[in-house]
Amino acid sequence: MIYSDLFFWLFGGLIPLGITAYMVARSKALGTEQDGSRLHSLPGYYGWYAVIWLAMPAMLSGLLFSFIHMFGVFSIPAPMLLGTMFTIGGLGLWYGLSHIKADFRAREKVEKVTTGLLIVSASISILTTLGIVLSVVFESINFFQVISFWDFITGTKWEPDTAFLIGAGRDTAGMAPPAFGAVPIFAGTFMITTIAMFVAVPVGLFSAIYMSEYASHAARGRLKPMLEILAGIPTVVYGFFAAITISPMIVNAAHALGLQADYTNALAPGLIMGVMIIPFVSSLSDDVIKAVPQGLRDGSMALGTTKAETIRHIVLPAAMPGIVAAFLLATSRAIGETMIVVMAAGLRPNLTANPLEGITTVTVKIVEALTGDQEFDSAFTQSAFALGFVLLLITLILNIVSNIVVRKFKQRYD
Amino acid sequence: MTTENFQADARKRKRDRADKRFKFYGFAAIVFALAFLVFFFIDIISKGLPAFQQAEIQVEVHYNAATMKNYNKAVDKKYKRLVSKTWLRLVPNQMRDKPELIGEDRLEWVLAENRVDQFLKGHEGHRLKSKHQKLVKQMLDEGKVRLVFNTGFFSKGDSKLPENAGILASAIGSVLVLLLTMLFAVPIGVMTAIYLEEFAPDNRLTQIIEVNINNLAAIPSILYGLLGLAIFINFMGVPRSSALVGGLTLALMTLPVIIIAARAALRAVPDSIREAAYGLGASNLQVVWHHVLPLAMPGILTGSIIGLAQAMGETAPLLIVGMMAYIPEAPGSIFEATTVLPAQIYTWSSESLRAFEERTAAGIMVLLAVLLSLNAIAVKFRNRSENTW
Amino acid sequence: MKKIILSAVALLVAANVAQASEQIHIVGSSTVYPFSSYVAEELGATTKFKTPVVESTGSGGGMKLFCAGNGMDTPDITNASRRMKAKEYKKCQENGVKYITEVVVGYDGIALAQSKDTAPLNLTRKQILLAVAAEVPNKEGTALIANPYHFWNEIDASLPHRKITFYGPPTSSGTRDAFEDLTMKAVAKKMDVYTKLYKADKKANKKYKKYHEVRQDGVYVPSGENDNLIVQKLTKDADALGIFGYSYLAENSDRIAAATVKGIAPSPEAVQDGSYKLSRSLYFYIKKSHMDKVPGMKEYIKLFTSEQMIGDDGACTDIGLIALPEEMRAKYRTQAASLTNLKPEDLKK
Repeated sequence: MIYSDLFFWLFGGLIPLGITAYMVARSKALGTEQDGSRLHSLPGYYGWYAVIWLAMPAMLSGLLFSFIHMFGVFSIPAPMLLGTMFTIGGLGLWYGLSHIKADFRAREKVEKVTTGLLIVSASISILTTLGIVLSVVFESINFFQVISFWDFITGTKWEPDTAFLIGAGRDTAGMAPPAFGAVPIFAGTFMITTIAMFVAVPVGLFSAIYMSEYASHAARGRLKPMLEILAGIPTVVYGFFAAITISPMIVNAAHALGLQADYTNALAPGLIMGVMIIPFVSSLSDDVIKAVPQGLRDGSMALGTTKAETIRHIVLPAAMPGIVAAFLLATSRAIGETMIVVMAAGLRPNLTANPLEGITTVTVKIVEALTGDQEFDSAFTQSAFALGFVLLLITLILNIVSNIVVRKFKQRYD
Repeated sequence: MTTENFQADARKRKRDRADKRFKFYGFAAIVFALAFLVFFFIDIISKGLPAFQQAEIQVEVHYNAATMKNYNKAVDKKYKRLVSKTWLRLVPNQMRDKPELIGEDRLEWVLAENRVDQFLKGHEGHRLKSKHQKLVKQMLDEGKVRLVFNTGFFSKGDSKLPENAGILASAIGSVLVLLLTMLFAVPIGVMTAIYLEEFAPDNRLTQIIEVNINNLAAIPSILYGLLGLAIFINFMGVPRSSALVGGLTLALMTLPVIIIAARAALRAVPDSIREAAYGLGASNLQVVWHHVLPLAMPGILTGSIIGLAQAMGETAPLLIVGMMAYIPEAPGSIFEATTVLPAQIYTWSSESLRAFEERTAAGIMVLLAVLLSLNAIAVKFRNRSENTW
Repeated sequence: MKKIILSAVALLVAANVAQASEQIHIVGSSTVYPFSSYVAEELGATTKFKTPVVESTGSGGGMKLFCAGNGMDTPDITNASRRMKAKEYKKCQENGVKYITEVVVGYDGIALAQSKDTAPLNLTRKQILLAVAAEVPNKEGTALIANPYHFWNEIDASLPHRKITFYGPPTSSGTRDAFEDLTMKAVAKKMDVYTKLYKADKKANKKYKKYHEVRQDGVYVPSGENDNLIVQKLTKDADALGIFGYSYLAENSDRIAAATVKGIAPSPEAVQDGSYKLSRSLYFYIKKSHMDKVPGMKEYIKLFTSEQMIGDDGACTDIGLIALPEEMRAKYRTQAASLTNLKPEDLKK
């Protein structure tokens, strides 16, 4: 707790100090100007120069110390650490202030540092990817040392009970070893995604066709944001809706038809997920359909085809690569969707083709494994990372493929 | 000849019908999507609306020594089951604060138990015992039961008892987390966009960064949760369930959205402006800082608001970093356990008491209202910025 | 823009200066969790103390954390749905957690429930075991076979011809733990068919000492944490049985009814006098070394053991705890107030 205070005192302290440093440096610069020589840069730059010399050393040393602390090399009491950091910052400031003279090129220095900061920011996105990949891969490696990768990918039995019990510190007394066969789980994800695409593809595509080919400009301007509301609704809300409203409706409907349906059936989350991704399909398809050159349409119409025929035989084939890319993106969105399935689908891995039965998905299993209070190093917990690893691979591949397809498509008409 | 004509006519009619059908499909698709939206809103609102009212009953409250010892004695035994425990338990404190109350018996309106509340609202599954149902009906005739506006829903935190559960703590948590998200994601996102649009040389590294940002935007949110758990919590030691870990995780998730939007906004600023500024001797950074950025600001704001709205509704990564715990109080700092609105909705939805269902829906209404207004603001900004050039 | 950022930072700093005081940290059984967190909520609402943090980690997990040492980052109290094991006590001692006080707060019962519209089943624990175990004895009782039973009358001719279906908690649940302990383990440890395998090879066949493997062929359906959905399923599927904590049965008595075990239906009285077998005591354990370091501990313990909470009419009893008989309550109340030390010989009883 004391270290968290430290964090705040450092940042809380740096802000007033920074403002003071800015003022001091600025007035010092203006003071040197009175000698008759003109300042090289605007006075503000001298202020910023001083701020940089204060904050950079302080923050860097803070970072260094926290790394040392993190790796447990040694730890220093917090007040001392804080003092050290401010001292270093102060020394930096003193050094910075000593530079300030009228002909000092403050702007260039400040701009150099700013550009550096921009580059650091840009590299954060790379670090994020790296972080995701590393966090997933590291734990997966641990997991695959216990469970063979092949068993994981091809096994049809997901019975991690024993691993769970070990992790929870319960008595397992030599029960059967846990089985981590992910096939039923991926089958569940696949089924729900398929159901979702059955909703999203026709509705999304036809909406896009209507908006881009038939609707007036004004109508399109109103319809598009309305459709996009569907993508803006939080998934936890969809999950509640699927579990509380849609699922009982499906059970009742199935019952009326003489069928048995589980309350955790695959249909409810699938349908709702389909609705959620309609805008992903429609917006992207709308864009690519609009990108098809008008000349193609005119040529076709001049040959006497009806509008529908033009769309079907000319526009859609021309826009097809882009539409396919939209489908791929929507698929990857559906595969990775979590809350809807956590709330409306089941927990039981179930290898079935019946959408009325309860099934479970990859994301559900990840949440299940990580929200119990488990010891972090049990195989049960690590299985979540292995599932995440496969999930990451699938979505990345889908995304890369769709990006390539879109680029090809754009090249064709640019 | 005529038959041929006739056949051609028939074919034409068929093709026209097909044409109409095709247009109808498109229209039907739109209608389907919009009808769903309407059904969805009606369903949520009809489920959530009752939660904005709360039952109260009028009973005689005994402020005396026996009550001080056991608060269950504050009301007559007959009514004990109808009164909320969350109200009863505060009676001794009330007497401590106002000693003049001691010894008095007063007729007061007090918070009713959730079963009474559900019974009054006519919900099935209210689970009120039949003898209590009779009593409530009788009291209703005497005007001793009423439904009032549920202020507690907005002024209290989570509770195990639905009549006492509110969204304040989670709303404060949401604001705190969102503030952190904004603090990390917006500056870094905008700076990245500036670098890529205005400074980056066209080399391998830049291309890698660009492809990478595209991929990041498509990575499922739950994987950001795994990142938060593995890197922020287990590696860096950020406290589990804290606003800080939530904010950091969501910031990374929102970053690509903001970068992409900010780049588009920067790209939309015409080069003539840059060239004019260069012509007056401005440096690279001055051009960006004084001219390009202010012009791109509405677009950047739009993107940031949309990104933050997304972050505000996000739940999955927050579950992974532990923000679904039972946390009744608003956090005192960003290192304390915090819950957020969507996580609160999730925990309520898995509660078993019937009264929580309407509260879940009411929480959803609040969340949706905030998100839709954020999006409306974003659209406003976008419309304004589109008109400039 | 800069102004916004500055004021945001200032706000965060200000928010942090109001520093949190230490709060009670409780871990342990998910069965005790609802009661414990209710008491925590009341403590937070009625006193100046901060609401204690209650985490559900399972009894075993709680013990592990609790016995890890005396540091302030270890829990102050752990809840358990079973008694501390001698092994765990030893672990505590080794790690310096010398003085522990044990408190029993009440009972927990497992109910097998079904739709109100079907004739209630009357089962024995052995029949339940035969219905849900992964491996059961063959007809001759000489060896174990994969569970072949799909109808109750196949297990015992006196039972009706009714499909066996269980909607029960998943492994991660405390109720599942209780169900396995109270039915499967309790019976299987006395059945030769299982134990002789264990005796033959104590290492490889350790699981047969107290056999509790649930079948995974779809007869036992793990049904998530949302008990509401199980109730809905039961009203639809007339043959099925649901496995609940007793509290949930009481809450839903208008829609579901209990199957009886040896002719006895679950009720507080039947649990108290021990005639209903699917029940157990609930505990919490106090780390004495934290008593004077963490504010509110004494008040929390006093509140939890008060009549207002665990009495016949108490708040915890309202949400499903089965109360102890009165003299037991008084005994544990004084034990908790005086912080009587737990001794190793207590655990052997």
